[in-house]
Amino acid sequence: MTATISETLVDPTGKPADLSPFQRFVSDFCESKVAVAGAIGVLIVALIAVFAPWISPTNPYDLATVDIMDSRLAPGKQMMSGVTAVVGTDGMGRDMLSSMFYGLRISLTVGAMSGFIALMVGVCVGLTAAYFGGRVDTLIMRVVDLQLSFPAILIALVLLATLGKGVDKIIIALIVVQWAYFARTVRGTALVERRKEYIEAAACLALSHRRIVFKHLLPNCLPPLIVVGTVQIANAISLEATLSFLGIGLPVTEPSLGLLISNGFEYMLSGKYWISIYPGIVLLFTIVSINLVGDRLRDVLNPRLER
Amino acid sequence: MRKTFTAFVAGAALLAAAGVSAQEIRIGIAQEPSSIDPHYHNLGPNNGFLSHVYERLVQQDSKQRLKPGLAVSWKPISETVWEFKLRKGVKWHDGSPFTADDVVFTATRAVNVPNSPSSFGTYLKGKTFKKVDDYTVHVSTKDPYPLMATEMSTILIISKKAAEGAQTKDFNLGKAAIGTGPYKFVKWQKGDIVEFVRNDDYWGGKPKWSKIVLKPISSAPTRVAAMLAGDVDMIDGVPTADIETLKKNSKVKLSQGISNRVIYLHMDQQRDKSPFVTDKNGNPMDKNPLKDVRVRKAISMMINRPAIVERVMEGVAIPAGQLVSETFFGHTPNLKSEKYDPAAAKKLLKEAGWGDGFGLTIHGPNNRYINDSKICEAIAQMLTRGGIPTKVVTMPKNVYFKRASRGGPDKSPEFSFILVGWGSGTGEASSPLKSLLTTYDKSKGHGASNRGRHSNPKMDALVVKALATVDDEKRRTLLQQATEVGIGEDQGIIPLHYQVNTWATRPGLRYDARTDERTLAMDIQVVK
Repeated sequence: MTATISETLVDPTGKPADLSPFQRFVSDFCESKVAVAGAIGVLIVALIAVFAPWISPTNPYDLATVDIMDSRLAPGKQMMSGVTAVVGTDGMGRDMLSSMFYGLRISLTVGAMSGFIALMVGVCVGLTAAYFGGRVDTLIMRVVDLQLSFPAILIALVLLATLGKGVDKIIIALIVVQWAYFARTVRGTALVERRKEYIEAAACLALSHRRIVFKHLLPNCLPPLIVVGTVQIANAISLEATLSFLGIGLPVTEPSLGLLISNGFEYMLSGKYWISIYPGIVLLFTIVSINLVGDRLRDVLNPRLER
Repeated sequence: MRKTFTAFVAGAALLAAAGVSAQEIRIGIAQEPSSIDPHYHNLGPNNGFLSHVYERLVQQDSKQRLKPGLAVSWKPISETVWEFKLRKGVKWHDGSPFTADDVVFTATRAVNVPNSPSSFGTYLKGKTFKKVDDYTVHVSTKDPYPLMATEMSTILIISKKAAEGAQTKDFNLGKAAIGTGPYKFVKWQKGDIVEFVRNDDYWGGKPKWSKIVLKPISSAPTRVAAMLAGDVDMIDGVPTADIETLKKNSKVKLSQGISNRVIYLHMDQQRDKSPFVTDKNGNPMDKNPLKDVRVRKAISMMINRPAIVERVMEGVAIPAGQLVSETFFGHTPNLKSEKYDPAAAKKLLKEAGWGDGFGLTIHGPNNRYINDSKICEAIAQMLTRGGIPTKVVTMPKNVYFKRASRGGPDKSPEFSFILVGWGSGTGEASSPLKSLLTTYDKSKGHGASNRGRHSNPKMDALVVKALATVDDEKRRTLLQQATEVGIGEDQGIIPLHYQVNTWATRPGLRYDARTDERTLAMDIQVVK
């Protein structure tokens, strides 16, 4: 009889029952080879971004060392400083490889920072709306609706036109654009959760609102947030690239990936392909990697898809 | 089915044939006019494209030499009065005859256009227009005024009957846009299309093209692509990056010529505490090194002009040492473009007490001049290497010019160190001298675009004297002397290069480059 009991303890997916939730999550995630490849891609990109100043052959943001006499060198040619430009130089004489490393740094910083802060803001607002309900909920959600009814790029353009240029300003613009998505997502989940017994129980214990919201409600709303968060980081990166491509957002002397692509676009018809193709590939690689991870997270964390 | 197909082919062939005989010409343009009102904004694209619809008393040819327009002749009849004899038999697009009343009306209207970002008052203030008979106008001034005809070649004449009481928007909608030119205005959809149609009753003979379609395409690669795809017959503002490749392409023909435009740097020479001059670590300072002529000279010596021309402009520009290039009246042979000499620059900076350097921010437009934003970056590189760490801020022209002219407190110029260009609308040196270097004085119309507020009474006196000197040779000498003081001695502005413009047409067409950068459809020739 004991044997049958131990058998029923085996998970329907065929995994041993003694795994911790995290181990289980990891093993679920790794079932998809594509997702693992995506995760490795994200890791590579993140490492390059973090260590850019140490692994770049030159510092593309130091105007004292960048020289226009090096401009538009083809891949493999040597620059005046003696460094070989492995993937060529751009129109201002910056080494493309170094520029892409540094550009990746800006893109990821902007994506991650704006995504994270927008998540915090969105979560606070969304949870408040769901937990208190009634007029508070209506008011907050109408603001969210209003914001979501405008295209993200339009809001960002207007904001940057008034704020001016700079990494900090582009992060602010992207937070304003993104928080509403998080608010809406977390509210949806929280509305379901707050009707459950454990919240009622917590309320009966006369716990403070803050404690109930953050210690009980929030942890149970996390899975969809993680998914939306990942996708939003990829969105933020591509939005930043779009804004830079349009020539607003970042200063011209510190190009991010989008600005590098935009600079190269001028040379597309004259055969100097390397100025925009390579940053384009890096941007594509980054966004695809993050999205692959995001897709898999959605599958793994969605209870409805549990096999 | 087959019948339908044949009919379709025949129809298409007919349409194609009609298209050829209709002789419509489509031009992809880099800069869109800001209005159809010819006196709203003294701006290159407006002055150029509106010349299809309206005409001037005196016209300029492709080298900006004067030739008769709506006036057949002009001469001074006394020290201070000029007489213009008007052309007879000219009709407005609405059929009414052109007379002296229209000229007098234009002169009063053009100085008082509400909200004008850049007024034609510069050319009209201090002149009194009087009708003598239907075809004679007298213009009087306080002092002798030798540049009368030259300045009248900037003013487009409008119809009194059609435009009396009209606002700028009445022109933009076409109601008041009545001219005497070879083409009639049809419509303007901002950002999309400007359309003109042939004026069959034109006094100068029937124009060649039945219809002109101007397509504003501000993105340079897109403009070139439209040309290569055959969407347009011609483009202006061919980007320097593509010139080499296009030269080898049999689908396009290029024409190129030097323009009257000099690209230069303005430096704040007025404020002691200039907002974008800092110490080496970026902290604000109470002292403004740009006020010291030695510092300005050192900056000029740090700039490697041939490198900018070769690497940024891809060879398509000419290094500049003064306000107009050598073919223009008032050019002085004594000023050459400053030699690149970083060592001497360093020494000079030290001598001026700025051996440790200081910080600067260069501001510039990013969609007005050829490669403007890149030139700013190249200059920042050169100055940073020379010991003046320089930041770059560029912005679209509509924001930039407003801030550069009057974005600061009390409508003063906002920036400290800027990149700008000036095209001499009069085709000689007095226009840039008067606008860029004379002491700022709104009431006299002096220093209207003097955004560095350079001021030297000695130079002002030379310019004023030149403007009232009738003898050409004497005036030339005075203008040369003024340039030698303003640029040679004072380094009032730092000239970088003269712009060279490039147009592309499809084979079978020819366009002769104009020094005033205008793109005029009536000058496009058909060649075999």
